Amino acid sequence: MRGYWITWFVLLVFTVVMLWADTASIPRLAFVVFMIAAMLTKASMIGANFMHLRFERASLVLTVIVGLLVTAVILYILIVPDAARIHEMVVEGGQR
Amino acid sequence: MTQPAATTIDRWSGGTCPFDAGWRKVMMWWFIITDGLLFAGFLGAYGYARILALRWPDQSTVFSLPYIAAMTFVLITSSATMASAVEAAKEGKRRLALRFIVLTAIGGAVFLGMQAYEWWHLIEEGARLNTNPWGDASFSAYFFLLTGFHGSHVLTGVSILITTAIRTAKGWSTADGVEMAGLYWHFVDLVWVFIFTLFYLL
Repeated sequence: MRGYWITWFVLLVFTVVMLWADTASIPRLAFVVFMIAAMLTKASMIGANFMHLRFERASLVLTVIVGLLVTAVILYILIVPDAARIHEMVVEGGQR
Repeated sequence: MTQPAATTIDRWSGGTCPFDAGWRKVMMWWFIITDGLLFAGFLGAYGYARILALRWPDQSTVFSLPYIAAMTFVLITSSATMASAVEAAKEGKRRLALRFIVLTAIGGAVFLGMQAYEWWHLIEEGARLNTNPWGDASFSAYFFLLTGFHGSHVLTGVSILITTAIRTAKGWSTADGVEMAGLYWHFVDLVWVFIFTLFYLL
């Protein structure tokens, strides 16, 4: 049970650091990279420790990771090219 | 005579569980994957709308970030109490498990109350699904839809926790049942980690 409360404490520390970063003057790119890294670390900690994925058989862990994370990443990779040139597309189309 | 350990391939071919987990846990994970993809699609659409928006408001001027951090604190704490409940249930400590489940349900209810207050506050300031005083109209649309969809999951989770608490108090629940409620609750917490970062901070 102690392990869960250590995880809880680390998650809280991450949350506080993220809030601090939001008020600090950090270059935008570094800020975004840090936030996404912190978010994924927090998510991994919840999955591994609270949801017990680190005790599960590799077949279940891989099914979850491939099924959820990889599919989501593919979804974003498919969206990003259009999203990145959306304003250009709007000009080409002549209307929003 | 000792039997050689079955490989994953043996388990598949023999029709036994290749994941070494009961059907309930496997089905719960299937649900989490599909529901997680729903949130992933939703957050992807939000990212797209945000790039498309001409004027996206600065979140720190719209929301009280310490208040949102307090909501996060409540949810993370409720996840830790739920994990403790699962462990207590597995160790056969029914009363301790019940105490932690009730604490988790209270945490969920507090989170919902805080979210209701946040909604009320923003609606008072003029936020609607199709308009808001701060910038692009899709800002408030995504705010209400993302947090509302997550909030409906929290509400479902609280209902599940209350049911689990009653079943535990009466001695009807199994450790497996408590674990399933826990998996769902942690999933709700997990989704909030993404919403908190992508919607409120970035």
